[in-house]
Amino acid sequence: MPTLKIDGQEITVERGTTILQAAEQLGVQIPTFCYHPGLSIAANCRMCLVDTNKAPKPLPACHAQVMDGMEVWTDSEKVKRTRKAVLEFILLNHPVDCPICDQAGECVLQDHYFKYSAQPSRLFHRKRHKAKAKVLGPNVILDAERCILCTRCVRFCDEIAKSSQLTIVNRGEKSEITTFPGKLLDNPYAANTVDICPVGALTSRDFRFRTRVWMLSSERSVCPECARGCTIRVDTFENVPRRYKPVHNPKVNDWWMCDAGRASFRDYLGDRMEGPTIVAADGRRTAVSTAKAVEDAARAIQAAGGHHKVAVIASPWLTNEDAYLLARLLTGALADARVYMGGRAAGAGDDVLIQADKNPNRRGVDAIFAALGVTAQPLASFAGAGVETVVVFGDNHDAAESVLDAIKAVPRRVVAGTRMSPWWQLATTFLPLRLHWEKDGSYTNFEGVVQRLRRAVRAASTCKSEGWYAMKLAQSFGDALAFDTPQDIFAAVASAVPEFAGLGWSALGDHGLRFGEGAAPAAGPSADAQMEASP
Amino acid sequence: MATIQVKRRDGLSLAEKLYIPEVMRGMVVTTRQLVKNVFGHQDIATRQYPEVKKAYPERFRGRHRLTWRDDGSVRCVACMLCSTACPANCIHIVAGDRGDEKIEKYPVSFEIDLLVCVYCGMCVEACPCDAIRMDTGTHPMPSFSRDKQRIRKVQLLEEGLPSTARQGGLGT
Ligand code: SF4
Ligand code: SF4
Ligand code: SF4
Ligand code: SF4
Ligand code: FES
Repeated sequence: MPTLKIDGQEITVERGTTILQAAEQLGVQIPTFCYHPGLSIAANCRMCLVDTNKAPKPLPACHAQVMDGMEVWTDSEKVKRTRKAVLEFILLNHPVDCPICDQAGECVLQDHYFKYSAQPSRLFHRKRHKAKAKVLGPNVILDAERCILCTRCVRFCDEIAKSSQLTIVNRGEKSEITTFPGKLLDNPYAANTVDICPVGALTSRDFRFRTRVWMLSSERSVCPECARGCTIRVDTFENVPRRYKPVHNPKVNDWWMCDAGRASFRDYLGDRMEGPTIVAADGRRTAVSTAKAVEDAARAIQAAGGHHKVAVIASPWLTNEDAYLLARLLTGALADARVYMGGRAAGAGDDVLIQADKNPNRRGVDAIFAALGVTAQPLASFAGAGVETVVVFGDNHDAAESVLDAIKAVPRRVVAGTRMSPWWQLATTFLPLRLHWEKDGSYTNFEGVVQRLRRAVRAASTCKSEGWYAMKLAQSFGDALAFDTPQDIFAAVASAVPEFAGLGWSALGDHGLRFGEGAAPAAGPSADAQMEASP
Repeated sequence: MATIQVKRRDGLSLAEKLYIPEVMRGMVVTTRQLVKNVFGHQDIATRQYPEVKKAYPERFRGRHRLTWRDDGSVRCVACMLCSTACPANCIHIVAGDRGDEKIEKYPVSFEIDLLVCVYCGMCVEACPCDAIRMDTGTHPMPSFSRDKQRIRKVQLLEEGLPSTARQGGLGT
């Protein structure tokens, strides 16, 4: 194993390690543009040039492998001059229209310029102009002038999305990113090119001009749109989510997420129903307090004349904590009730990230229900005969007309939901729920990786989680079910469900834990460090 | 140790005690001032506001205005640096796509809440485009509603003036 010295610090690394990786292990920072840990190495931007004793000229640290006895200087005068020169070349024709550039504030070029160059332009000629605001596909727009030709986007399409849609045409200063003739940048992962583009050349058509990035607050969470559960950052401004960004998680999604998931946050922004209501027989709605609404729901259940006439519709959108509390209700006070499992219908999947199961926590809910002894029938088999009261948890259920009609025929219908939907319409008692970004909790993805959901948005105080309602109902039937925090519930899950054995709330960390990883210590840097480092 | 100086009034003199002479003395001062004001305007200490207004120093920070480009469009590119810099958080901008090749972004709406503004001038300092200025030399006017004090893009541009600064910088 070769031993080398970087800025005077000695380190021994595996053969084949690059200088950049070795420096990273030592905590020495080397600036880069074209290098991305998830893509092949192109070494075309030359930002990472470092001085060594093994070559007369500086070497690109992202590409050059270490040698035994190598000495590397990342901060010598020569390296500083080289970096300045590289940046001057990159910025030669750069429009520097930062005020109207969406990347400003998270632009690697801005950061590197201020840190490593900070010299005014010496160009007296007119700058070369290229296409601006060129639409590449449904989600991505290109400003060719800002492009630094690092080819990260090209490599992403080739290597990760497996759909060669981008390329560079022309040579020299006329080089330009474009799509192949007649093609659009429309693969299901296209918007990741926006994330990895180090400058503002590729920007999101959805987020374009909406919010300056420095105004956003971020919280780590999980994308709920399919069973993969990509680790994401929910970026909010004024308590409203503005975008999702994928966050690096080697256990789940690496650096990526799909475009459908990324765009899905808009589905939850409108039509929130935040007030508990009771609907009279003549259809008149009355807004009531939360306590009143829960009381009313409990009364509706008792009025069924025996719990075997109560049907409860659970959901694979419940967090592990909510599922546990609901399972406790369904094995305690409501042990005789019939249980159905709703959720979204399966869709298309692929072998990159997207799963056919469009629900975020089926694996977790199933495991918890199985361990506590709750058996759920599929919602499609709901017939309604003999059911006097139905309790629906969540409104992300795709149900056939016949099922909806059967539910409508049930005299008392308690619905816990988030927004205007067919489910809200058929409620006789409506309990407002929190959305996934308003919850603290955890989801289990299809591979059994349990990840934390963190609250990014403050919900109206009338909105509660499914588990909270389940707990209140259980209490009103005389069950001693009381938890204060999601930590406590998770601890109860870990001791009651074999799959969760040994998993701890704080040990879930940033990358989550896989079923059975219980004893292993949490890996990975803290959320904040990771967010900053995410390229 | 501090020394305390004690001054005593010696009480009123006879003339003061008589009261009438002192009143006359006061009347003389008043009458002199009256005659001066009526026959010689020059030395009046007060101003005939609002007919006569004070000339403000050149760098007085008055009400804001937005400047125009040569073609009459608003110079502001909705970069939101002013609203970021504003310590009072009183600038509200909604950005939109101008559909222009070179300068794509413009403010669809631009509002300043003058009741919240502290007239610090940070917004002017922050603007990279010479788009916002506080050189109108005018105060916020009183109004009957709070809403009138939220001045909008139209008003800001009505007060506006063309800026000759070059947008886009050298070498464009
Ligand atoms: S890409 Fe970066 S440096 Fe270039 S205009 Fe945008 S923010 Fe400025
Ligand atoms: S568009 Fe962005 S990612 Fe693609 S080559 Fe240009 S700078 Fe690199
Ligand atoms: S003068 Fe100061 S307080 Fe007023 S709008 Fe400008 S930055 Fe804000
Ligand atoms: S006034 Fe100036 S600083 Fe404010 S948004 Fe417009 S261009 Fe930016
Ligand atoms: S990062 Fe090494 S050459 Fe671009």
